[in-house]
Amino acid sequence: MKNWWKKIWEEEITKTAFVQEYENKFRSKTNPDTPISQLTFCVLDTETTGLNVNKDYILSFGALKVKNYQIQLNNLLEIYVEAPLVKSEALSVHEIVNKEGAKELSSFVKQSLSYVGNHIIVGHHIGFDLQMLQKTYKPFGLKKIYNKTVDTLELAVRLEKGYHYNPSFIKSEEYSLDTLCQRYNIPLHDRHTASGDAMLTALLFMKLLKSAENKGITKYSHL
Amino acid sequence: MANVIINRVREFLQSYPPFSFLDDQALEVVATSVEIRFFAQHEYLFEQGEPAQDCFFVLKEGEIHLTQSIDGRQEIYEKCDEGDVFGVMALMGRRPYRLNAQAAENSLVYAIPVQIFESILKENNRVALYFAAGFASGQVVVRNDLSKSQHARSILGSPTKDIGLLLFTGQSDVQIKQQVLTCQVGESCHTAALQMAERGVGSIIIVDESKLPLGIITDKDLRNRLVAKKLPYETPVEQIMSSPLTTMKPNANFPDLYLTMVRQKLHHLIFTEDGTAETPVVGIISDHDILLAQGNSPAVLTHGLMNTWEVKEMAKIRNRAERLLKYYLENEVSMDFVSNIISEINDLIIQRAIEISRRELQGKYSEEVKKVKFCFISLGSEGREEQLLRTDLDNALVYEDLDKETEELVRPYLLELTQSVIDILLACGFHPCPAEMMANNSKWCQPLSQWKKYFTDWISNPTEESLIHSAIFFDFRPIYGQKKLSEAMAKHIYQEIEGKSIFLNFLAKNAIMNPAPLGFFRNFVVEKSGEHRDKFDIKMRAMMPLTDIGRLLVLSHKMVDVNNTFKRFEKLAEVEPRNKEIFLEAAKAYEILMRIRAIEGLKSDSTGRYIEPSKLGKLQRQLLKNAFYPIDELQALLRVRFQLDYFKG
Repeated sequence: MKNWWKKIWEEEITKTAFVQEYENKFRSKTNPDTPISQLTFCVLDTETTGLNVNKDYILSFGALKVKNYQIQLNNLLEIYVEAPLVKSEALSVHEIVNKEGAKELSSFVKQSLSYVGNHIIVGHHIGFDLQMLQKTYKPFGLKKIYNKTVDTLELAVRLEKGYHYNPSFIKSEEYSLDTLCQRYNIPLHDRHTASGDAMLTALLFMKLLKSAENKGITKYSHL
Repeated sequence: MANVIINRVREFLQSYPPFSFLDDQALEVVATSVEIRFFAQHEYLFEQGEPAQDCFFVLKEGEIHLTQSIDGRQEIYEKCDEGDVFGVMALMGRRPYRLNAQAAENSLVYAIPVQIFESILKENNRVALYFAAGFASGQVVVRNDLSKSQHARSILGSPTKDIGLLLFTGQSDVQIKQQVLTCQVGESCHTAALQMAERGVGSIIIVDESKLPLGIITDKDLRNRLVAKKLPYETPVEQIMSSPLTTMKPNANFPDLYLTMVRQKLHHLIFTEDGTAETPVVGIISDHDILLAQGNSPAVLTHGLMNTWEVKEMAKIRNRAERLLKYYLENEVSMDFVSNIISEINDLIIQRAIEISRRELQGKYSEEVKKVKFCFISLGSEGREEQLLRTDLDNALVYEDLDKETEELVRPYLLELTQSVIDILLACGFHPCPAEMMANNSKWCQPLSQWKKYFTDWISNPTEESLIHSAIFFDFRPIYGQKKLSEAMAKHIYQEIEGKSIFLNFLAKNAIMNPAPLGFFRNFVVEKSGEHRDKFDIKMRAMMPLTDIGRLLVLSHKMVDVNNTFKRFEKLAEVEPRNKEIFLEAAKAYEILMRIRAIEGLKSDSTGRYIEPSKLGKLQRQLLKNAFYPIDELQALLRVRFQLDYFKG
């Protein structure tokens, strides 16, 4: 087995077939006038070993698709990722995190990329997840995640404070997933599992999107 | 490892019927196939007339209104809340929707693909019953559905069966002994006893030359009628046998034969080929067999009551009867059987109380006074054999007409007697009637002639008060003493009504005063203030209208000896085949109401009259709603039949 994790820091990488396939999906651009009801959103969340993009890595990944305010439960993705073999200090931690059924890194990348496709990626504080994913995908030849993204945190701020409000001014605890779920009457379940958080985010997203639609945000280009 | 999202959906579904009837595997399949849909306030899920979608719905969060478009307006047909199943047209033959479904607030809905569920519907009987019986929201309740829903509930309600319950649900575990020991007439008692000894049994059936049963001899007969009487062993068996025999068909259902034994206080029941004594014996069952199979049984209780002179012991037995009642109710034993058993026990307690009181007053009054003929009658719900819980006592006493002098001597005796009876009944846990309609009230302890006057007065002057009286006094039933006296009262009532049919119009008007509590689907009509705020008065809103209607129609048909409300409706169904369906529905509805009330009463240690709709289970609530329909239909029927729209009472 190649150690893909080591390659993260290498310079020259050959592009894998599934990365190529992913990139091909972006050859045709989405029509900016496509109404929201026809767009597919991929809501995702990752659980990681920590918050340092350089040092930490993904442990699990949960994603689901929302289209026209519907979520099909036979089309969910949940992957636990094999932790890299690290012989040193963190071994005990990794023993815990290496769950039964965890997937090799390469198959995680292949599956998640194919699932996400060219759909609009939705997540809470999505920037962090994107950085983690980008770093993970890099050794497989992916330079950049091309998807359009919607951050539920930013969407909430935009709806509550207005379009031009600078998100950096808000108090972050007022727009945490927990607080927003409480504010939008979404019962908190299964917090801090990738799938559970993806589900909460999706429920929050649907509520926000509906009120966005009522405020005239009705098509792709508005997002 | 199962996805947490699927798990969460599965957990939710699991707590609501019909999903609660699925096994883990099926539930997993359903949960995985769910589509979660979000609807903002005011959005429509589907509209009336639209073709059915390929899924039906379960409300996860929020509120959905099922509405009906009538003349351009939308009327709320039903409000769905968490866990309600709706939009099942898709499942039931894919007909177009007959209602609109609109989100009253932001709502999350689980859509279940019909394709997935159809196979479950085929394989799982309980799920099929759930839908067939109209338990899903917005399903039309059509006539004949009640028995189905009741049947459904009995199956859905108790998934676990233990052996004791089978006794009452028809599948008895009691074995009818098929090898019956017999001996012919003319044989000696010695021969009979010898046979019994050889076979180790306590009884022998005496048959004639053609093997037809004539009588029975038991151990007790040999002791009491032969040995104690110093009769020779050569005495022919027919001389000491008990005869005639009570016989039944071997396929008689258990409650029937059991009830026969309890009521006639039989120790043995004989089965013959066709149920009469004109065909050969095919089996026998003894009360001992039943006791063995049952433990704490009505037979044990009635036996206990008949053998005690202790009021304390009677009270204890009545408490045990309550536990028995609870057990019956929880296990959906037929209401006919339950009310029969409990009335039998109540009657026995009253009879016993009278006997005890008579004993106590033994030496206090002259033989002349004690000879007075009287009849103790039960009124109201006990009169109708519907008093499952020990609610208020309603009773009275009628005695023969006497000359003034004798009456003056007799009245103190009867009043002291009835006072003692009431005291005993109160000690047994019954509650006094707040309006003092009890036999110890001198107004309701009267000679026949006075009773006739009362009834004549109530019938010819239908005031509000007399209507109240009629609701109680017209449901009388003799419990102890001279049945002839109560029969004379009944006869008098019919004679009086004959000439004054206007009285029936008043009764009819009274019976439609409380309209069926339809139209308030999520929120039952509940009490607006006072101690019972936000509770539903099942007695006044649902049971009383049916009782009143049953009584009125029975009176109008001059039927006698049917007191029980649901039996009245069953009888009416026979008399008026045209309205058979609605009457049978009403009978079922009443049984359901009785059951729900009694369960509630036992649960809250009250009369069960006030029910908190929010605390009823989903099935229970739906069943209760369905039970309201016949009230509405019957009231419409009365309106036409007694021309109430023209009748200004």
